[in-house]
Amino acid sequence: MKSVKKPVFFVVVALILGLTYLTLFGVYTQYGDIETTIIRGVKDIRWGIDIRGGVDVIFTSPEGYSATRTEMDAARSIIETRMVTRNITDYEIYVDYSTERIIVRFPWQSGDESFDPEQAVNELGETAMLTFREGAPWDAEDYEDLPIVITGADVERASPNYNPDTREYQVSLELKDSGKEAFADATGRLAGTGVPISIWLDDYCFSYPMVNERISDGSASISGNFTVEEVQSLANRINGGALPFRLEIDSFSRISPTLGMSALDAMVIAGVIAFAVIAIFMISRYRLLGVIATFGLLGQAMGTLAVITGFFPGTDSFTLTIPGIAGIILSVGMGVDANVITSERIKEELRIGKTLDGSLQAGYKRAFSVIFDCNITLLIISFVLMGAFGTPDSFAAKVLTPIFFMFGPGAAGAIYSFGFTLTVGAILNFIFGVFASRLMTYSISKFKPMRKTKLYARGVE
Amino acid sequence: MTEKKKDFDIVSKKKIFIAIPLVLLAVTLLVGIIFGAEISIEFKGGTILTYSHSGDVDIEQVSAEINALNYGVATVTSGEAFGSDLRLINVSFSTSEGLAQEEQETVTATLLEKFPENNIELESNKNVSASTGLRFFLKCLVAFVFSFILFIIYIAIRFKKLGGWSTGVFALLGLSVDVLAVVATFMFFRLPIDSIFMAVVLTIMGYSINNTLIIYDRIRENKSLHGTKLNSRELLNKSVRQSLSRAVNTTVSTAAALVVLSIVAVIFGVSTILNFAFPMLVGMLFGVFTSLCLSGTFWVMWQEHKNKGKRKA
Repeated sequence: MKSVKKPVFFVVVALILGLTYLTLFGVYTQYGDIETTIIRGVKDIRWGIDIRGGVDVIFTSPEGYSATRTEMDAARSIIETRMVTRNITDYEIYVDYSTERIIVRFPWQSGDESFDPEQAVNELGETAMLTFREGAPWDAEDYEDLPIVITGADVERASPNYNPDTREYQVSLELKDSGKEAFADATGRLAGTGVPISIWLDDYCFSYPMVNERISDGSASISGNFTVEEVQSLANRINGGALPFRLEIDSFSRISPTLGMSALDAMVIAGVIAFAVIAIFMISRYRLLGVIATFGLLGQAMGTLAVITGFFPGTDSFTLTIPGIAGIILSVGMGVDANVITSERIKEELRIGKTLDGSLQAGYKRAFSVIFDCNITLLIISFVLMGAFGTPDSFAAKVLTPIFFMFGPGAAGAIYSFGFTLTVGAILNFIFGVFASRLMTYSISKFKPMRKTKLYARGVE
Repeated sequence: MTEKKKDFDIVSKKKIFIAIPLVLLAVTLLVGIIFGAEISIEFKGGTILTYSHSGDVDIEQVSAEINALNYGVATVTSGEAFGSDLRLINVSFSTSEGLAQEEQETVTATLLEKFPENNIELESNKNVSASTGLRFFLKCLVAFVFSFILFIIYIAIRFKKLGGWSTGVFALLGLSVDVLAVVATFMFFRLPIDSIFMAVVLTIMGYSINNTLIIYDRIRENKSLHGTKLNSRELLNKSVRQSLSRAVNTTVSTAAALVVLSIVAVIFGVSTILNFAFPMLVGMLFGVFTSLCLSGTFWVMWQEHKNKGKRKA
């Protein structure tokens, strides 16, 4: 670190300001009437129902179908998983067992074109029952008369990929032992007979490939002129599981924010003022180190927002809710703390009479061990929270299956979104609170006018 | 020069320090038993009433009128149906048995009386189960217990010099005191126990861990610096004095941010944001007390207890 050059300070500051600009305003190109998003800005953030309102849908079981309590509960937990898979982490689901109604509320703002609530609601209500059936679609009047080979319940995991041979996007299926056997039997029996196996999602047939040979390794794939987005969404739907019955829409309406109409304006204004207050405080206490801390905190806050908006159009974006904001407050608080700890350490070193360079190095070195411990502990806790309350096919959830198996898969958006913002915050804390701030401090201390110790600590000559 | 500053003897006040959380616990339990907690519809279930209306209706006023009936916490939102211009008011009550028929009628009557020109009509009434139920709480419990075990293991490894396992347990004890302060705030001020509550508790846990580790890190450092020259009491006192300005500065700046949030919320009339900012502020300030006065005191008491045992043996 001794070899940090003078210009580094300006490079780091320029990078942070650049990130700030991109995160706040995004990059869009306008071609005629069509606006294409290159980098998502703050206006693309999806806010939770608590802050900006959303949609209220009431689902009901089909006419003449009597759903049991267990089926209603199963339906609810599948809807939960479908919500979290769509990165809608802020939702409420209420079940009325006596009238067989499921009320689902999730965030949506009118005018948001990147998300179509009607399509989302239709997808939430569909059974999403995957079946492999013997015979082509025209072999029977009703597709349900075709004998079932395997269903979605026999699938261990569905993953989207690209098949270089056919040059098509497809969904690859890894079958469970139960499915392996049935699939091997059926393919063995049908190979060479000219009877195809048709692949269905509810009443929609994707394709009906001919069987050439017995398939016993438990692998299967679904193809059908898909786009990347389509294979991703299909894989998610298969992994999310099938509903015990089709949900029909009973009513569908828009609702206002639960916190009150002006919650968002209040949050934004409070955020800006609070950041200014923290900056003024840090600069008044720690002078030059306070200025550096302000840049570091700006980078950290913007980095968190960038991860929430998804930054690039292809990546997933997140719904920002009150628990998510709590996660941001905690991570910015940790950032403030990291800077305060380091600045206090540097002050101590200067007071016992060390040189400026020596104090800066010792200060960063000593402060690091505790910042490291704090961030790692928070990462451990947020990993467990994300594993327990995230989607069942996420990495954390898989690792923690032995702990949470008895609860079955289940997602709780509020805690997940807290864990998510906190994880991001802790990682960014290493990048901005430790690494970037050290680079800035070392390089600015190379400038002659910046070598007076009183610029680094009050009351030290 | 700073080395000459006299250290304040923290452990000498241990009786007062330990009494504070115990009294708080007792009062919180008492309040809990006598008045109960305001648990929201998300966790408790309840009744959702939907009304249609014409013209403009002030949602804040509806909320005030309905909450004045005292049938439990009522959340009021406005809405409009997709595909038609029906305008709606949703009223959610949290009661585990559902709102009784007469009570529902009173709510409807109140709305009809207060907003006579808006053609208010009851569209639907549903008694719903909790959005997040018992299974969720059990899972939370397992998640916390598991993450605490990992936490204690991590602390035991990183703070071996301070006695390892016991350090982790004391850090956890300090954390529980901070969480107690948050729970007490929600109970005393009759704030609804909902997802905001969960968020505040989690945040305060995070801050509490930060605070405690900073003290322990100082003790760890002083211990390797001064070795056996200082006993555990002196080590703690020195460490607390050295961490004081960090604790004050960090807390002042983060608390200032929350005060700003509260003031803006009041100006904008979004009082629900206070449900979030205020308990967090209390938890944060309490965290300073816990980390400076309690976490280290527990550690010193344990060290002195262990030494006593050794001498006897």
